[in-house]
Amino acid sequence: MSEGSRQIEHEAAAWLARRDSGDWSAADAKALDAWLAASTARKVAFLRLETAWLQSGRLKALGAGLATGELPDRGRWTQNLFDLRATQTHDETSQAATRDNAPDIAGAIAGARTRALRAQGGRAWLAAAALAVAAISLAWTWQRHERVEPLAYRTAIGDLRSIALADGSAATLSSDSAIDVALSLRERHIDLTRGEAYFDVAKDAARPFAVQAGDDRIVAVGTRFAVRRDGDDVRVVVTEGTVRLESAPVDGRSQPVTLLPAGSTALANRSGVLVRAGSAIDAERALDWRRGYLVFLDTPLAVAVAEFNRYNARPLVIGDATAAQLRVGGSFRWSNADMFAKLLEQALPVRAEREAERIVLYSR
Amino acid sequence: MDNALDAWFVREILVHEAALVQFLRRSWPQADDVHDLRQEVYVRVYEAAAKALPQQPKSFLFATTRHLMTDRLRRGRVVSIEPAGDFESLNVLVDEVSPEHRLGARQILKRLAEALDRLPERCREIVWLRRVEELPQKEVAARLGISEKAVEKQIAKGMRLLAEHYHGHPKQDGAGAGTRRETGIRDRETR
Repeated sequence: MSEGSRQIEHEAAAWLARRDSGDWSAADAKALDAWLAASTARKVAFLRLETAWLQSGRLKALGAGLATGELPDRGRWTQNLFDLRATQTHDETSQAATRDNAPDIAGAIAGARTRALRAQGGRAWLAAAALAVAAISLAWTWQRHERVEPLAYRTAIGDLRSIALADGSAATLSSDSAIDVALSLRERHIDLTRGEAYFDVAKDAARPFAVQAGDDRIVAVGTRFAVRRDGDDVRVVVTEGTVRLESAPVDGRSQPVTLLPAGSTALANRSGVLVRAGSAIDAERALDWRRGYLVFLDTPLAVAVAEFNRYNARPLVIGDATAAQLRVGGSFRWSNADMFAKLLEQALPVRAEREAERIVLYSR
Repeated sequence: MDNALDAWFVREILVHEAALVQFLRRSWPQADDVHDLRQEVYVRVYEAAAKALPQQPKSFLFATTRHLMTDRLRRGRVVSIEPAGDFESLNVLVDEVSPEHRLGARQILKRLAEALDRLPERCREIVWLRRVEELPQKEVAARLGISEKAVEKQIAKGMRLLAEHYHGHPKQDGAGAGTRRETGIRDRETR
């Protein structure tokens, strides 16, 4: 490459800006074509900038309701326009309500969309403006109705994700995990469909915060806790406040409701509920994954390896029964299974064989 | 955008820019090279697609990226302190990094608004007048009492910075690395 990528990008932007200036002749167009034809690098750089610039025509929607020449403060949009979460209502009553109360808005949206599509580019703002209206009407229906369509969040293996929920609570999704969030007027309902999540719940006595994990239900008002699913096993770790565990019936008999104070860890499965009391520090340590660490204390290697594999696409595999029994302790970065294997080789009678798709640990 | 290949490139390749950049940052020791690598990946993909459109654009994009990094390591242009070259094992991880999503118009607008807010003061003001109030560059210059050339320069800068955020859309509001944007109900369910 004769030109650097940054230089090409600057040149592409200069061409686009000049074309945008309105002072643009047929000769200029020809010169641009020649410039573009000289290398694919120029072509893709130009295409990339042009795409974003065309899209930026949608910004027109932000000017709605402002006097001309008035430049709003930064962050204004994120505070109002977009904080009307995309909470869509889907039950029939709310749709009927929308129809009864806002027929004109719906019509305007459809109309504006079609027109904008036809007119393209410069008029794309119409669609955006209509969507802003749609957002407002959706927020309005959300205010009035209880049943809401959940928002789904998920993480890939090796990712953590912090999510700010609309009620002020926060959720942290662990690796390879998924939750559906439905916030209604009566209840804040979270469905943990996979993996593990930590919740920092905003206080709202009128709206309990309930996490469904399979057949178990964990209810809090304002507190911090984590819920994790492993097949039929559900683990709850409470770091602050108290939560109520309503576990699934065992052999057809309903289980008593369990109150879990801070520091406790509960394990619920088909055979019942086991609660281990501890300090809040112990509980926090079980949730160190949020900071990127896994903490083991005299943990069988098989268990430690299973933990690591929750976070890594290239799994660690135990090669023999002797290796499985070894005990490990310490605090490890979960993002680096390879480093963990190296440390094991140094500290334990273990040999690691690194294959393309996995790392096998043998005793030696 | 005048032809089908360009449209394909925007639709199937540029949408993955955030994942691509994240992958490059994770795998490549020199952060300074990422801009250059990104462009070379795009060039390779675009040229290959001109001959035949890949059936699975996203996989193709990341395969091309791995090959490029391997080539560069072989050519010895980079001295790495990492036990480098193991890009294959990152494959699965990366492929799941961002499930394909087509953004709704409202999310696009939100991202653009954030991009606008990240522009330097003068640049933001000029892009606002040009894009929101739709004043021609000439009038923007008259309004602000600066030269047309200066406006054009700021517009060019705005284009670059907007594109960086629009395609690359870094993490949401300060949450940790690896944060995905909201994709709501459209997320694919993996089972």
